[in-house]
Amino acid sequence: MRSIREKTSREKTTRCAVRLGRQVHLVLLGFNAGCSPELPTPLPSGHSEAALPRRGGALTLASFGDMRTLDPANVADGIAPQVLQAMFAGLVDYDTQGQIQPELAKRYSVSSDGTHYRFVLREGVRFHDGEELTADDVKRSVERALHPTSPNPSSASYASIKGYAAFIARKAEHLDGVSVEGRYVVTFDVDRPDSSFLPLLAMQPLRPVCKSAGTRYADTWHPCGAGPFKLLPGGWDHGRQIKLVRHPGYFRPGLPYLDSFTYLFNVNTTSQRFKFATGEQDVLRDFLAPELLKFQADPRWRPYGEYEIEKQVAGLAMNTELAPFDNVEIRRAVATALDRDQLQQVRASNLRPAYLPVPPGVEGYDASLKGQHFDLNEALDHMKRAGYPFDPATRTGGWPHIIPYLTYTQGLDEYLVQIVMQQLARIGIRLEVRIVNYPTFLALRGRRKQTVAGPGFWQQDYPEPGSFLEPLFHSKSINDEESNNASFYANSRVDELIDRARHELNPERRKKTYGEAQEIICDEAPWAFTHYYRFFVQWQPYVRDYRPHPTWTLDAARVWLDHAAGPLATRALFSGDALAKLLGTRIRGRATW
Amino acid sequence: MPIARTPMRRNWTMTVGLALVMVLVVFAILGPFVSGHDPYASDFEHGMTAAKFPVGPSARFWLGTDRLFRDELSRLALGARTSLFIGLSATTVATALGGLVGVLAGWYEGRLLDAVLMRIVDVGLAFPFLLLIMAIAASLDRTTPGTILLTLGLTGWLGTARIIRAKTMQIRALDYITAGRALGETTWGLLRRHVLPNVAGPLLIVASCSVAQMILAESVLSFLGGGLAPPTPTWGHMLFEGQDYFSTAPWISLAPGLAIMASVLGFNLLGEGLRDALDPRKD
Amino acid sequence: MVARLCLRLGWAFFVVWATVSLTFLVHHALPSDPARMVAGPQARPADVVRIREELGLDKSIYVQYARFLGRLAHRAPHADASPGENHASCARILWAVHLDLGKSYQQRRPVVTILRERLPRTLWLALAAASVQLVLGVTAGVLAAAHKKTLLDHLAVSTSLLGTSAPTFVIGLFLQWLFAFRLGLLPLDGWGDSSGGHVASVVLPAFTLGLFGAAYYTRIVRDEMIGQLSEDYIRTARAKGLSGRAVTLRHALRNAYMPIVTVLGVDVGTLVGGAIVTESIFRWPGIGSLSVTAMLDRDGPVLMGCVMVTSVAVVVSSLVVDFAYALLDPRVRGARA
Repeated sequence: MRSIREKTSREKTTRCAVRLGRQVHLVLLGFNAGCSPELPTPLPSGHSEAALPRRGGALTLASFGDMRTLDPANVADGIAPQVLQAMFAGLVDYDTQGQIQPELAKRYSVSSDGTHYRFVLREGVRFHDGEELTADDVKRSVERALHPTSPNPSSASYASIKGYAAFIARKAEHLDGVSVEGRYVVTFDVDRPDSSFLPLLAMQPLRPVCKSAGTRYADTWHPCGAGPFKLLPGGWDHGRQIKLVRHPGYFRPGLPYLDSFTYLFNVNTTSQRFKFATGEQDVLRDFLAPELLKFQADPRWRPYGEYEIEKQVAGLAMNTELAPFDNVEIRRAVATALDRDQLQQVRASNLRPAYLPVPPGVEGYDASLKGQHFDLNEALDHMKRAGYPFDPATRTGGWPHIIPYLTYTQGLDEYLVQIVMQQLARIGIRLEVRIVNYPTFLALRGRRKQTVAGPGFWQQDYPEPGSFLEPLFHSKSINDEESNNASFYANSRVDELIDRARHELNPERRKKTYGEAQEIICDEAPWAFTHYYRFFVQWQPYVRDYRPHPTWTLDAARVWLDHAAGPLATRALFSGDALAKLLGTRIRGRATW
Repeated sequence: MPIARTPMRRNWTMTVGLALVMVLVVFAILGPFVSGHDPYASDFEHGMTAAKFPVGPSARFWLGTDRLFRDELSRLALGARTSLFIGLSATTVATALGGLVGVLAGWYEGRLLDAVLMRIVDVGLAFPFLLLIMAIAASLDRTTPGTILLTLGLTGWLGTARIIRAKTMQIRALDYITAGRALGETTWGLLRRHVLPNVAGPLLIVASCSVAQMILAESVLSFLGGGLAPPTPTWGHMLFEGQDYFSTAPWISLAPGLAIMASVLGFNLLGEGLRDALDPRKD
Repeated sequence: MVARLCLRLGWAFFVVWATVSLTFLVHHALPSDPARMVAGPQARPADVVRIREELGLDKSIYVQYARFLGRLAHRAPHADASPGENHASCARILWAVHLDLGKSYQQRRPVVTILRERLPRTLWLALAAASVQLVLGVTAGVLAAAHKKTLLDHLAVSTSLLGTSAPTFVIGLFLQWLFAFRLGLLPLDGWGDSSGGHVASVVLPAFTLGLFGAAYYTRIVRDEMIGQLSEDYIRTARAKGLSGRAVTLRHALRNAYMPIVTVLGVDVGTLVGGAIVTESIFRWPGIGSLSVTAMLDRDGPVLMGCVMVTSVAVVVSSLVVDFAYALLDPRVRGARA
């Protein structure tokens, strides 16, 4: 009696549920149609492909993040480099092909032993305040940035400059390794031949700053350099936006094309999408993941979007000092058990499967290396060799304990690990996630004997394999606290190869030595590399000559705007801000159109 | 103008409320078995469209799949257990604590006890809630529904205490309390006979509003690392996970959203019905 | 009355001090490193150590706490003395007293400057949101009570249920999409450049916050008024020949003042310090998002500044509410012998 009732009621429930499901589906369709406007129509450009660049116009970009500081001596967030690049020129810089070129220097030379660099400056380069840039300014700026009172987070990277140790310890008033030889000549001496010196010099921290900056870092300084754009007083509205205007005295004649460019901060992805549709924002880089797939699939938008090169690597970092990952076979099993193609689907448009520690966008990436790979049977073999065989049919065996995995909130790894868990379960490794906020995560992962496993990620500090291998896998990067080598991996052969490569000035031999180190790392698997994150950038057709810069993301000096029939025509569709108009005012942003 | 009043079946609200709650409970218990899918397994074959989107509601996946291509229905059902538990029990803890403190403070308004209790409430309201969550999360090796219930319950009572205090002060000033006092009734007697029945109404309202808030608050905890760790589904978490997919795969957040709404409606109606049944001022 | 006020002010100071000190303690106890957050996840340990020393974070908590309290309020130097390095992060309050909350670790700007930028925006939004929820909530509550158990009542109650169960981001994103993007009636986000702009930009965030809050008011007002409407004196008043509407409004609503004022008082603190989601959707740089960022960046001085603002708001509103009781409902005061 009871079972019959149960059965009928269950049938009824099922039928109801199906009907309900269909209704919900209809509602959803309606909702979908109403709430998901198709992609916006691209706003056309005024002239043909072949047109020559024109001057004028204001470019607007946005980010969901905020810029905290604006000083080459204190580059502390991800947005600042894009803005700094527009404001400060360096002695040398990376060009759009990712090659180092003289910038403020007319030319430079390196001594045959690789320890002495001589830079001859261009003459007549003007800072934003009109003063001429001379060799004294170069030395002053370097000392200002590396002085112990400056909050520079990357000082230690420049330790190879002669006299750095004495200078940072306040034992010397000046930095011995930087010398002025006349008004336009400056030389740098390094302790040993160092292949990372020029790449590091091409980064931003040591770039010349105006005389108003003085010899010591101060928080109250108004940023001023020799780059193509300058910041007027009040141009940075903290937390909201920064507006830069053309530097009329920029040393490259005719550049930049833009009158100004504005960077909006703290704009969430939904708002950015809305702003991009109306042309209130000209370039879109922060996408809602599913929308990016749509943009990429839309032929109208395809010519106006591009991937930036991959500059970061991510993986599963395993602590080689703690069980079970002190067992190299278990690490190998993990590295071969991860199906990167499947993991990529978590964010298909932004992830590229990774098998090597050095991302493809980095100079010195070697595609010929074997790297890690995915092979489930091989992974099971590794488990057997480790002494913990797992039988997939009966789901018995494997590592007998649950392994804690530490990750952080608000990141992609929160989702990735849920797939990783499923994949590792197939070889008898069970993870349990502990999720903490980002600062806690950073503190815990860098503490010795604390974290068994967790996400590893690293972004290039400078475009060289050493920028990845040295901090992540060299034993000298192991610390009891704040360890950058978060898998606490130590292999003297790897150490030796990384050191040798760093001091090797021949690019071919260097690449080979770094390659050798990478092969060992991939085999011993302190990390199972999972993906390279790649940004996609979409611009409106009227934004011309926009090319993602391999190092700086944005090359504002060469972008130009080419609005068709005046920007107001398109924007009239979105009359906007009716209430404000009713009140007799115009809202910010629209007034500039 | 007379107050408009249409005759209603007396226990209409209670019946509907009870029915809704029962449906949810049954769903929580049976749901995972009904759908037949593993709530933790991603299905890259059927759960993902060619364009790499989660699939919508279909015969295979009645409520579609989520952003990791798992069956939404079985996750919803599994989430029902945790979310309903957290929502209800945290509300109970918070309401009970808030009610107790509120009644005490209101009754002894102007005395030291009131001052101390209310200043604790002030500190609690001013103290950054999220920092507290961070601290709790950092001090625990793992979070369970139990720790979340405590976190939410022990932080959620502050506003309630203030409201109940005001209500108690109002009641205490009424004539029959003064009269009762003059007639030598004990404090406990007065509280039980007059104050408690009268604060029950506001308490019920506060409680019914807070069920949904507690369910959602669990996902706010996750935001700072104090929530349940993935891949455990909760309604609040599922709702937030769907945020980016709102315009492309709305079912991801719509399903938990509707579930939360249904539970709120159910508990509210049930509460209303209960109150009507117990109302001291019933006509 | 004066004595009572003095006592309450004393308590108020205590509450602010207790909150701030507690926050200091808890923030310090978290297992993470502010210097690491300043230097970034990839900084070399040597740089992290140097920055830690530069920020004074290598000192013990007692030293840090003493330094924080010591410079919090101090006498300003004489007007003819140069401002100097020591007073670079101060704000002048009350004649010769300086308020110094230190410098943000992350932004390297005085906290008082940051707060001065954000406070007007926060107060403006809080005021607007409180008005929205008060007006909407009370109107709906009164209507529902006056028409108890009719369609109107059920509509008001179910709308309020919807309001409490919908998360802020859903309401916010929907309003933004509809009114700003689709209809183009209001600005998408931001704070506006002119007074008209400020008014236009506050509408959507205020409604986002207000719709949720209003739901609560509706329920409270409805419940109070239904209770009051059945009380004897309403019957008496009605017997005296007053019209139904006047009775409802004048008598019953007055009795609902107390809970309304209480809820409003609780909301002030929340609105000043906690409008995080709304602030981020509408890019409204207020105290709420500032304090969350500060927490996630371990930016101690900024967090302390935010807590200071929030605790003052809570304390003041609590004080105002308590004194408002006496004004609104004299019987409450009279009851205490």
